[in-house]
Amino acid sequence: MTTTATDLARADWLLAPGLAPNAADAVLAPLYAGAARGELVLPSCGACGLALELEQRACDRCDSADVVWAAVAPTGEVHSATTVHRRERGLVLATEPYPVVDVELASGHRLVMTTLAPRASAPAIGEAVRIGFRSVGGVAVPAAELAAAEIRPVHPSDTEVTP
Amino acid sequence: MTAAAVPAGAVPGAPVGIVGLGLTTMSLEPGGAPGDLAAQAVTAALADAGLTKRDVDGLLVNTSQGVRPDRLSVALARQIGLGDLRLLEHLEIKGATTVAMVARAVLAIRAGMAETVVCVFADAPLQPGGSAGSTYAHSGGSDGVRGLERASGVLGSVPTYALMAARYLHVTGGNPDDLCAVAVSTRAWAVHNPDAVVRTPLDAEGYRASRMISTPLRVLDCARPVNGAAAVVVSGRPGRGGHPPVHVLGMGFDHPVRRRRAGTESWFGGGRRAADDALAMAGRRPADVGVRELYDPFSVVTLCLLEEYGFCAPGTAGAVARSGALGPGGDLPTNTGGGQLSGFYLQGMTPLVEAVVQLRGTGGARQVPGVTTAFVGGIGGRIDHHAALVLDREAA
Repeated sequence: MTTTATDLARADWLLAPGLAPNAADAVLAPLYAGAARGELVLPSCGACGLALELEQRACDRCDSADVVWAAVAPTGEVHSATTVHRRERGLVLATEPYPVVDVELASGHRLVMTTLAPRASAPAIGEAVRIGFRSVGGVAVPAAELAAAEIRPVHPSDTEVTP
Repeated sequence: MTAAAVPAGAVPGAPVGIVGLGLTTMSLEPGGAPGDLAAQAVTAALADAGLTKRDVDGLLVNTSQGVRPDRLSVALARQIGLGDLRLLEHLEIKGATTVAMVARAVLAIRAGMAETVVCVFADAPLQPGGSAGSTYAHSGGSDGVRGLERASGVLGSVPTYALMAARYLHVTGGNPDDLCAVAVSTRAWAVHNPDAVVRTPLDAEGYRASRMISTPLRVLDCARPVNGAAAVVVSGRPGRGGHPPVHVLGMGFDHPVRRRRAGTESWFGGGRRAADDALAMAGRRPADVGVRELYDPFSVVTLCLLEEYGFCAPGTAGAVARSGALGPGGDLPTNTGGGQLSGFYLQGMTPLVEAVVQLRGTGGARQVPGVTTAFVGGIGGRIDHHAALVLDREAA
C-alpha cells in the first residue's frame, strides 16, 4: 500500500489520526457533516435565534426546545488563547508547541480550536479570526486562520520594482 | 419528628461534627487500587474517631471520573466489611462532590436518617508505564464536545485551565507574577506539612525556571496528582478519639451554569452564593474566617475563588497574592497545607482535611494561631460547580 497525494493532504499537522472525533456523534454530527462541506454549522434557537452551546437541547432565553443547526459566518475573534508546550507522545505529532484558541464567532458562539497551520505562539486576545478546517483521521474539524497572518496588506508599492 | 425517627443518642438541633479523619500515604508512585486505598482511609478515620465499623450507619463514596475503570461504588460497603447501613450513596458533582458529601451527611444526620456517616474519596491516576499527565492526556474519548476539543489538541485538563488563566489575567490586568505568587505562598505552607508531597522551598526564580505546560501555566501552577485516599467521619454524636469537636456550621452550593457565548465570561465568574449561603447559615462573616481552604487544581483557581467568594475585591486577588497575604504570617492564610499544588491532589478532600487539621490545632509548624473558623471551598467542572462549608471548632 502506498501513500497517495490525497492521504498526505489529509494528514493533520498536529495530531495523530487516532484522535479523530466521532463524526456520527449523536449531538455533534451536524457540525462534522457541515465541516466536511467546508461550512461551519452550529446550533441556534429556532424560536429566538440565540446562539446555543453545542450540547444545549433547549433555549435558556425563551425556553424553546427547537434547536436548529445551520451554517454561520466563519469569522470571529480570539476570546482566549494558550500555547501548549506539553506534547503527549503518540498523540501529538507536532515537534514544537502549538496554539489552542477559544474563538468568539460573529454568530455569538464560542468554540475552542487549534490553528489551521503550525504557529509558534498563541494569538492575542481580540485578534481577528477566520474559520477553516483541518482533517483529523479523515474527520474535518474547525480550525482558526489568523487574519493577520493570512491577509497580506497590498500596497501599490508591492507591484513596483524596488531599486 | 417523633422520637422513633431519631436514632438513639442523636439530639435534634445539636451540632453535627467531623469526628474522624483518615489519610493513606500520598504516593507519587504507581500502585494501589482505589478500593484498597479507600479501605485504608476508612479504617484510619474510624480509628482516629475512636469508633468501629459497627458504629457506622452511613457511607458516601466518590471517586475521580474517567481516568480508570475500577472506580469506587456503593459496592465499597460490602468490600470493606460495613453492614446494616441506613445511608449509602455514590455522589457525583464532579470535583465538588467531596465537599457535597459532607453536606449530604450533615443533612441526613440532622433529619434523623443517619447517625454516623463515613465519607471517602480515593484516586489512583498514577499507573505503570506513564505519568499522571499521560493518563489524563489519553482520557476523554472521541464523543461530544470533549471529543471535538481533544481533536483540537485540548489533551488533559491543563489547556482548558490555561485558557481560563490567560483570560483571567487579560480581564484583571494581571500577569504571570500573580500566578507565581500563589505557587510560592502555597509551597511555603507545604514545607511544614508532613503529608505534602512537595516540600522543597520555592522562590520566584525557581518558579520561573519550571517547565511550561500550557501558557501561562507552568508545571508548578498545576496540582500534584497522587495515588491515595482520605476519609472523614461525620456524626451527630461526639467522637471518642480525644479531638476537639469540629462542627459543620454552614453549607452552601451554587451552580451558575456559565454560558460559553458572547456577552459573558466563559471561563470564570459565578459561585458566590455557595460562600454567602454557607457563611449566613453559620452566622459568620468573611472576616471571621481564620483559614481559607480552597480547591486549587491550578494556581489561577485560587485567585478566581478568593474573589468569587468575597475574600478579595474583584480583580485584586493577584495583588493580594503578591503582597504575601496568602502565605505563612499573612493576613489571609489560604491553603495552609500546601493545597493541591504542593500538598496532594485528592479533589475536595485536600481543602477539607486541612481545615479539620487547623481547627484541631494539630498543624504543627504550619498551624495558624487562634483559628476558630475555617472556610472550605470545592469546585467541579471548569469552576462550574461550587460546594462550600464553614467549619467551627466551637459549638454554635
